[in-house]
Amino acid sequence: MLNNNKIHVMTKLAMYEKNEGKKDIKLGKYYRTDYVRFHALKTIVSVTIGYLLILLMIVAYKAEYIISKAVTLDYKAIGTYVIGIYIILLAVYMIVSIIAYSIQYDSAKKRLVVYYKNLKLLRKLYKQEESEQK
Amino acid sequence: MMNLLVLRERLKSLYQKSEMYINPIAKFLMAFIIFSCINQTIGFDERLDKLVVVVLLSLVSAFLPVSIIVLLAAILMIGHIYFLSKVLSIITILLLFILYFLFLRFTPNLGLIVLAVPVLFILKIPYVVPIILGLVCTPVSIIPASCGVIVYYFVLVIKNTAITSNNIGIDDTLQLYTLVVNSLMNNKQMLLSIVVFAIVIIAVYLVSKLEFDHIFDIAIITGLTVNVLGFLIGDLMLDVSDKIVEMILGTIFSTIIVYIFQFFRLTLDYTAIEKVQFEDDDYYYYVKAVPKINVTVPEKNIKRINRRSAIGDTEKLDEVIHASKTNRYADQVENRTDKEYEDDDYRNDDFDNEE
Repeated sequence: MLNNNKIHVMTKLAMYEKNEGKKDIKLGKYYRTDYVRFHALKTIVSVTIGYLLILLMIVAYKAEYIISKAVTLDYKAIGTYVIGIYIILLAVYMIVSIIAYSIQYDSAKKRLVVYYKNLKLLRKLYKQEESEQK
Repeated sequence: MMNLLVLRERLKSLYQKSEMYINPIAKFLMAFIIFSCINQTIGFDERLDKLVVVVLLSLVSAFLPVSIIVLLAAILMIGHIYFLSKVLSIITILLLFILYFLFLRFTPNLGLIVLAVPVLFILKIPYVVPIILGLVCTPVSIIPASCGVIVYYFVLVIKNTAITSNNIGIDDTLQLYTLVVNSLMNNKQMLLSIVVFAIVIIAVYLVSKLEFDHIFDIAIITGLTVNVLGFLIGDLMLDVSDKIVEMILGTIFSTIIVYIFQFFRLTLDYTAIEKVQFEDDDYYYYVKAVPKINVTVPEKNIKRINRRSAIGDTEKLDEVIHASKTNRYADQVENRTDKEYEDDDYRNDDFDNEE
């Protein structure tokens, strides 16, 4: 026989799993610090790649100048400048991404709590059904 | 107005019934417009600049996620530019990668905006984007909107280079590259668009969060005004007055579109039918969950509560306390002295005790 309560809970669970749940459940496997750290690492990699590409474009843009003055350029000053900007950029991105991913984690956890509650309810309904059958 | 509301209800129920067919068709049309716009603007490669190609690409994107449309559009753009000059296509790829790694990676759901901005620029109504973003999204959407502006002006630069490059000699790689970078960097119009769009997004967002009657209408009008003023001041400063009429007409058209969007948005948001499948030990379930919500635009009611009478009345007190949590009444509440607050607490306790 169809159990309407059970179907109701299962539909709710399935709808969540189909939409936001997909991401949330994956995220639920991480601890908060691990999750934020993992994404911060990803951010570092992508910022580094982006910065290197920008550097590449700048070097190509100034190629003529660099080649003509290759001997007399103050590489130390340029190096410090480049690394300095990189550190500032990285710091800004780190702060923003740590805050953003923490918020993301917290809101997902909130949704997961509801999800687990519904799962427990479903289990209860199953047990009820079993006991009724006996 | 009544007719419009009825029309909206009808469209809503039609959409609910045949969502399965309408979604791909809408996606197809959107993709078709996007790809046609790209072909029309930078259709250098005649093999790609064909109706068959556009229709095929649109058909593919009709059944795939929206992010695929963005990817396909980028590939089509690079294809056209590759035909023109290999160097330019490399620059394009580099630019897109930089935009992706530094900005777009962090706003994955808003990828379509990057595409929408240039396409709407070509259709002369880019002002739709910041107003809608202010209404729907958070100010984070400034990032994709700015990237979209950059992509559009980059495409313009490429197009202009294509026209003039015959004189320069396209073989001179470095010179071509410098030329493109120079014209992109010195493009004040691009900077102006980015700044004004950002201001419009923030202004519309802030206004739409206030609590007044008809706040969305006010927010849209604010967006319109800020947009016109921003571009007007900017255009006059940059001395490009020939675009002013176009800009004002574009803004008015954009506002009309935003109004239509807004009219349907509040209902369409909730009407999506969910279809889910699951199983238990005995059955397979194919459930179609239809949202029950049948409420039209939620009206924000604001009660004005007189300070004096509120303090004397315990029932209204809760409303005052509640209102003090919303900013609208913050100033009213701030005017009250600590003594009055203590009185309130006292009365409140009294009230609780009686219960």
